[in-house]
Amino acid sequence: MKRRTILSSLVVFAVISALAVAGCDKQKNKQTTSQDAPLAAVNGMRSLQDFSSIKDDRERALAIYQEIDAVLSHPRCANCHPAGDTPYQGNIPKPHQPLVVRGEDNFGAPGMRCGTCHGEANFENVPGKPSWHLAPREMAWEGKTPGEICAQIKDPERNGGKTLAQLTEHMQHDALVSYGWEPPEHLEPVPGSQALFGQLFQAWVDAGAPCPPAEKTR
Amino acid sequence: MSHEQPLVGQELDPGLTRQARELILNLSDNLNRATASRRGFLKGSSAFVLGLFLLSGKTAQAAGATELTAKVADLETFQGGDATPHLFIQIQPDETIQIVCHLSEMGQQVWTAVAQVLIDELDAPWENVRIEQAEGHPRFGNQNTDGSRSIRYNFERLRWMGAAMRAMLEEAAAQTWKVPKKECKGALGHVTHVPSGKKLSYGALAERAREMKVPPRKAITLKKREEWRQINKPVKSLTTPSIIRGEGEFGQDVRVEGMVYAVIARPPQLFGKIKSVDDKRALEVPGVIRTVRLPDLEPPAAFKPLGGVAVIAKDTWAAIKGREALEITWEDGPNANYDSAAFEKTLMEEVRKPGTTRLKRGDVNAALDAATKRVKADYYMPHQAHSAMEPPAVMARWDGDRVTCRGCSQAPQSARRNVASVCGIPEDNVTLEVTWLGGGFGRKSKGDHFAEAALIAREVGAPVKVVWTREDATRHSYYHTVSAQHLEGALDDKGKCTAFLHRTAFPTIAATFTYGQNEPRWGDLRQGATDTPFAVANMQVESGKADAHVRIGWMRSVANIYHAFAVQSFASELAHAAGRDPLEFLLELIGPPRLFDPNKEGAEYDNYGSPMEDYPIDTGRLAGVVKEAAKLAGWGRTLPEGHGLGVAVHRSFVSYVATVIEVAVDADGKLTIPGVWSAIDAGTVVNTNHVKAQVEGGTIFGLSNALYGEITAENGAIVQSNFPDWRVMRMNEAPRAMEVSIIPSTAPPGGVGEPPTPPAAPALTNAIFAATGIRIRRLPVFDASRRDRLVKKEQNR
Amino acid sequence: MSITLKINGKEHTVDASPDTPLLWVLRDHLGLTGTKFGCGVAQCGACTVHVDGNTRRACVAPISGLEGKEIVTIEGVEGPEADAVREAWKEIDVPQCGYCQAGQIMSAIKLLEKKRDPSDEDIDLGMSGNICRCGTYMRIRKAIKQAAGDLG
Repeated sequence: MKRRTILSSLVVFAVISALAVAGCDKQKNKQTTSQDAPLAAVNGMRSLQDFSSIKDDRERALAIYQEIDAVLSHPRCANCHPAGDTPYQGNIPKPHQPLVVRGEDNFGAPGMRCGTCHGEANFENVPGKPSWHLAPREMAWEGKTPGEICAQIKDPERNGGKTLAQLTEHMQHDALVSYGWEPPEHLEPVPGSQALFGQLFQAWVDAGAPCPPAEKTR
Repeated sequence: MSHEQPLVGQELDPGLTRQARELILNLSDNLNRATASRRGFLKGSSAFVLGLFLLSGKTAQAAGATELTAKVADLETFQGGDATPHLFIQIQPDETIQIVCHLSEMGQQVWTAVAQVLIDELDAPWENVRIEQAEGHPRFGNQNTDGSRSIRYNFERLRWMGAAMRAMLEEAAAQTWKVPKKECKGALGHVTHVPSGKKLSYGALAERAREMKVPPRKAITLKKREEWRQINKPVKSLTTPSIIRGEGEFGQDVRVEGMVYAVIARPPQLFGKIKSVDDKRALEVPGVIRTVRLPDLEPPAAFKPLGGVAVIAKDTWAAIKGREALEITWEDGPNANYDSAAFEKTLMEEVRKPGTTRLKRGDVNAALDAATKRVKADYYMPHQAHSAMEPPAVMARWDGDRVTCRGCSQAPQSARRNVASVCGIPEDNVTLEVTWLGGGFGRKSKGDHFAEAALIAREVGAPVKVVWTREDATRHSYYHTVSAQHLEGALDDKGKCTAFLHRTAFPTIAATFTYGQNEPRWGDLRQGATDTPFAVANMQVESGKADAHVRIGWMRSVANIYHAFAVQSFASELAHAAGRDPLEFLLELIGPPRLFDPNKEGAEYDNYGSPMEDYPIDTGRLAGVVKEAAKLAGWGRTLPEGHGLGVAVHRSFVSYVATVIEVAVDADGKLTIPGVWSAIDAGTVVNTNHVKAQVEGGTIFGLSNALYGEITAENGAIVQSNFPDWRVMRMNEAPRAMEVSIIPSTAPPGGVGEPPTPPAAPALTNAIFAATGIRIRRLPVFDASRRDRLVKKEQNR
Repeated sequence: MSITLKINGKEHTVDASPDTPLLWVLRDHLGLTGTKFGCGVAQCGACTVHVDGNTRRACVAPISGLEGKEIVTIEGVEGPEADAVREAWKEIDVPQCGYCQAGQIMSAIKLLEKKRDPSDEDIDLGMSGNICRCGTYMRIRKAIKQAAGDLG
């Protein structure tokens, strides 16, 4: 049963990712990569240039990963990557009210779907993006160290079967990922911008995507 | 059907006095309006409505009456009002029994209950009943739908009304057949001539029955209990069939031609005022028409509007967006220093020192000093908001110097007076129409929303519906008061309670009406403090002082909530200190069956407006519900690990309710409620199913507030605004099962809507103690510090 | 600005600002007042409708996103689940004041469409978004189970 759930989650996630990628076709030509002109630091996220003093590629990549982790572990992202079945909400994460669960497809329970309240765009205080849903259970970040999350997002078994290139694409353009920078007013956005984040992510991947030690806490 | 066509206009006797004509026209007008705007019960037959009120103008004339009011026969002497049947019943030729319900329908199923009683005594087929809502007008008698009194005040009155009408139909049949009346019997919609078996339907007799005199009481025979067909039966709700189709009109649903919508920015603090307002941006919001400034509120608050600025728009949404765009600078007013955290400390200090003695038996202090064991505990409960699912809403429409208001009210006559007073017009110029209420819980007894609508509509010159949002309802309620209590008890060497001291302090409801009132009134104390009927030799009740800084109002069971929480928690604490079973200890505190009268021990006690002779405080009945609830719950059974049972009992609104709750607390401290068992002794009950529903709902209301309810103020302004920062119980948090037992009784009917609430909180916290050893003395259970987990931490915070 | 919405199988053209939530268009513009206003922030469920076959809180659904979608309200909902739910609601006399019940019913119908034999937990999870201050939860639970039984 559990295995079936995971498999179906993977399928769903893959389909969503594919759709998200397809939706970004038009933008593909101007895809942000680390080859583009480096973007300036913004909203508490350092720019690529800020890391140029670090000569060692791996050290530099690990330093960049701290910026990536600041996004992934931010409540805007982590609230919906829970270890259990229930997401969190708020700048100081609290269990979602009313009680909601991932359900069989990560889109909620019968009668009470994520989309029952969350539309395709934010509305007043209610967050929204197309296909609002919980990250599948194997993508849970709650309670994990930066190193553990890092290993997890690189692992195709736990990242929806993505290569690093596909993962980069996901981070740069996925609509749900973009929510992190575009929450309703009362919620704090993740640091930086999606463009800068994408650039840093690409740089980190280009440098071999090294992970901090699993035991090292934030 | 328009209300320009009176039901009975063309049939009025030309000899009627002017007042009589007006009364009948008003009444029929009201009926028409109700009919037209309701579910359309009469739609198919409206063209044929003849309006055969079973009252002839001639009757009143014959009696020499100049006023067609209650002075017919001797049916005027009931607490709820007079009992002449013309007020509420109309029989139509097609056998329809048209009933006007003068009490507000807010989920307690008063429509069904009123109809049950009338139809039973009239003895008509249930399926012929059609029911409509009365407007607010003194001619209907007491219409206040609060204080758990609808049936308590009206049961006998309605019975006499129905029976009087049956007698008139029997008389009409007797005259038709030229036989003695005693040979004619009305039953199930027909009058039968018993010797011959001849029958005539009520509808066929209606016209003739109009000519009959309303008989005096001695000429009327009420049915015997065993003859009841509707009373004391689980008759199905008259409202459910409409509700499940989205039909029926609540205050929020009112729509009339040309109506615009208003949403009001009210001062954050009570008696705060507007310093300046800039509505430029608000007026730019698409759909916004204009703004209206309301008068500043001067003490006392009473039911007057709070003041502020109304945004008028073509729909509610535009009004809401317009309000957001208002730029208002407020002047804080006298309550800007009100801070709940600081006030809690002040209140706790107040109850820790001696107060004013309000009831005294024996010598509490001497007995406490002589105790083998002396137990003390302090309890605290914060403000609560009623939070009916329907926020208040009223439509007002002016026609010259007359105004019609239509909305949700539990006290339509009070709302009518309030509109008249605030608008400075005679009461007769106000028509107060009552919709269904999407819950009331006491909030809608206060007619401030009616006054707002009337003032704004007069200014706008068009029909206006004032819509309260959830934020408005949470921030501008008439709050259940904040309270602190100090209890002390003495135990002797056998573990028996020999002294009981109950000290209570809270801002009183009276402060809402008398500015500066800072001491509890008898009216507050008689609800669970001075009427505690414990068999303890030395007993003392004291009250302390407290200032009110928000509007304090009554909320479902009122002062009984916090008093029962403290007294019933403390009973369980004493049992624990004595090393005894809480149930057995509670029964010992209640003592042997006897009648208790607080008036005889120095307290002023009005028994909720009911006579002590009919409704004594009966400890036998109090113990009876405890035993029944305990039996249902299987008190004493072996419970799974982490489970606990708690018991509490309370008499309020002259009824008795005991509740046993089972809680389960898992290793993480997560609380669930596997079961609740309640027993109610409310005397005679009209609808067994709906009484159970009230016990279920009243218990959930109590549990919700006990678990989550906390309204706080900072700088005089209410902090909470909407769900879930103001949190109420949800499906997944509700008890999985609940069983209710109604104690069979032939006693007169007591209250039902409120009495189930007080025992809920202490039964819950007593169960939590039994399960975990955690004693909750400050509500709510899940305050900010607990984050939904019951983990042992400091005791007696 | 005018927007055309398909509600209960019928097209309605309304003149309202595109950010207006469906709730207010239903209630104030079209007179479909069965869908209730309880909180305005998707917390209480009183405004629950069906949009393209799923529950949706009308108070946070701007009409700009609803063109071409199938909207069903309490006034128009039908089908075996709707019949079974209404029948059970009557049989058990679930409602008290009734204000939240349209929303409860709309949620219960979708729960039963997806879960023919809902467990207590399914009911908790499917109905947790619908607040009832009158406290009819135990009866709602019972009625959903009864409706499930009637649906077979």
